Amino acid sequence: MLETAVKQDLRDVMVDSLVDAARKDKNIAVLVSDSTSTAKIAPFKEQFPDRLINVGIAEQGLVGTAAGMALGGFVSVTANAACFLVHRANEQVKNDICYSNTNVKLMGLNAGVCYGALASTHHAIDDVSIMRGFGNIQIFAPCDGVEARQIFDYAFNYEGPVYIRMDSAKLPDLHDDSYSFCPGHPDVIRQGEDITILAMGSTVHEAVAAGRLLDIKGIRAQVVSLPSIRPLERDVLAQVLSKTARAITVEEHSRHGGIGSLVCETIAEKGINCRVKRLGFAEGRFAVSGPRDQMRKYIGIDAEGVAATAVDMCSE
Amino acid sequence: MDNPFAFEPGDISTQAAEIRKRVLKMNFGAGQGHTGADLSETDILAALYFRLLRYDRHNPENPGRDRFVLSKGHGVGGFYCTLMQAGLLDESLAGTYLGFDSRLPGHPVRQKTPFVEVNTGALGHGLAIGVGMALAAKKQNLEYKVYVLTGDGELQEGSNWEAAMTAQQYKLDNLIWIIDRNGLQLADFTENINALEPLDRKLEAFGMELHQADGNDPEALVRTIESLEKNDRPKAILARTTKGCGVSFIENQPAWHHKIPTENELSQAMEELSC
Repeated sequence: MLETAVKQDLRDVMVDSLVDAARKDKNIAVLVSDSTSTAKIAPFKEQFPDRLINVGIAEQGLVGTAAGMALGGFVSVTANAACFLVHRANEQVKNDICYSNTNVKLMGLNAGVCYGALASTHHAIDDVSIMRGFGNIQIFAPCDGVEARQIFDYAFNYEGPVYIRMDSAKLPDLHDDSYSFCPGHPDVIRQGEDITILAMGSTVHEAVAAGRLLDIKGIRAQVVSLPSIRPLERDVLAQVLSKTARAITVEEHSRHGGIGSLVCETIAEKGINCRVKRLGFAEGRFAVSGPRDQMRKYIGIDAEGVAATAVDMCSE
Repeated sequence: MDNPFAFEPGDISTQAAEIRKRVLKMNFGAGQGHTGADLSETDILAALYFRLLRYDRHNPENPGRDRFVLSKGHGVGGFYCTLMQAGLLDESLAGTYLGFDSRLPGHPVRQKTPFVEVNTGALGHGLAIGVGMALAAKKQNLEYKVYVLTGDGELQEGSNWEAAMTAQQYKLDNLIWIIDRNGLQLADFTENINALEPLDRKLEAFGMELHQADGNDPEALVRTIESLEKNDRPKAILARTTKGCGVSFIENQPAWHHKIPTENELSQAMEELSC
């Protein structure tokens, strides 16, 4: 699959999917916390004004109310910035959504360091690790609009808690219409036998670009996207990882608890002979404030940084 | 749907006394429990389950039922004993209270126990959940009411006030928020820790239609709640209670938040409750 010129904002895709779902199901409701513009939710509001609940700047109330509506028979979809959702309303996510197993879909908007210069209050570089700590919530990270649409459609029909890590950037489609998202499955974007580069969400694009840079240097990289963090079929991931003796994980997230940890756990548990280098934010570090592209370069998760790490590993 | 008992208001106290006996025996047997909280809320729960709540005793999930959320989840012992007294829960389970993987855990778990609507235990969660339920009823044009029982110390959690604002904004007159105002929290009296008063004015300022009642008088509670009207305003019942109510040496004693009676204390309590 090749990168095409079509770029999509995942939030627009989310709203399209919500509108279609709401047309079919009168019990779809969207809840925001003054985050109407963050969620780009206006088209939904125009068509279903009664099904958009805005609780104001009150994230605990947002999540608790979403749980209550779900217990009242709604498919509740929350849409606000991941940082406020995951951190402010953490206990509500744990108890009201996960522990109570309510039918709520949490959209973690502008996750990672999408808010770059707005600094660490607005970054969410531990959302996946936090969600992985809760027992039963499904966790997805789409890398383009084609995949996002399928993940939303799946999530709105699945009975139970879901977290979707979303990016604010317009992302070029990596997939065409032949793509079929399968919950639990890694998505092998390109084949290669020298090294595997695994990535999540928008960093998949860095991984794909790194693969191209490595081609020039004669290194063949297998590039794998992990859109489905839970569920995850670890046997399938193990097979993918078994194809090369080296792997790099790339995430705009802490190295701890995200896909870097997931890959290491799989390699250790399955006894695979594969050396891993995890790229992401180091343990105990906040992200630096500033433009996102510079931040990616700084921590080495841009295409050039990933390629340089791959060259180092392949030359050892 | 009606309340399956529809007791006369004056007859509910007898049930409350029996619930209290069950609480003391169950906590004594388990060697643990939140005795003070269980006894504080008993009359409120008795009024709900024997008169006010409309539910289907054979189908706890009947979509038309009134909802009850025990936001003060540590009061779960009083709740289980109310369900047992109403025949909604097998009373032989009392001996399993707080045991390993019991159907009666130390805070409510809906996957374990019938008539538990949502898992609570961390304070300050129930009201927002109740707001969501009440909102769902409004959106679906259903007539059920949502009762949320919070403690008073719990109101130090800011999340309650977020939820109250939403209840006002969405005109949730089907939400009835009952506050078990016994004046005590884990460490001390609420007013010595982080004062709640003037609680009545706070509730009104947050848009609640405020009613005050003796929370240890089921008759008064029933009269108050049955007089509520549909008028677009969420309701708050400030129920003045005595923590540990019904047993002289437990009443109003901070130490009895989660103290368990000795054998002698249990006998004395049974005598007092049988008078």
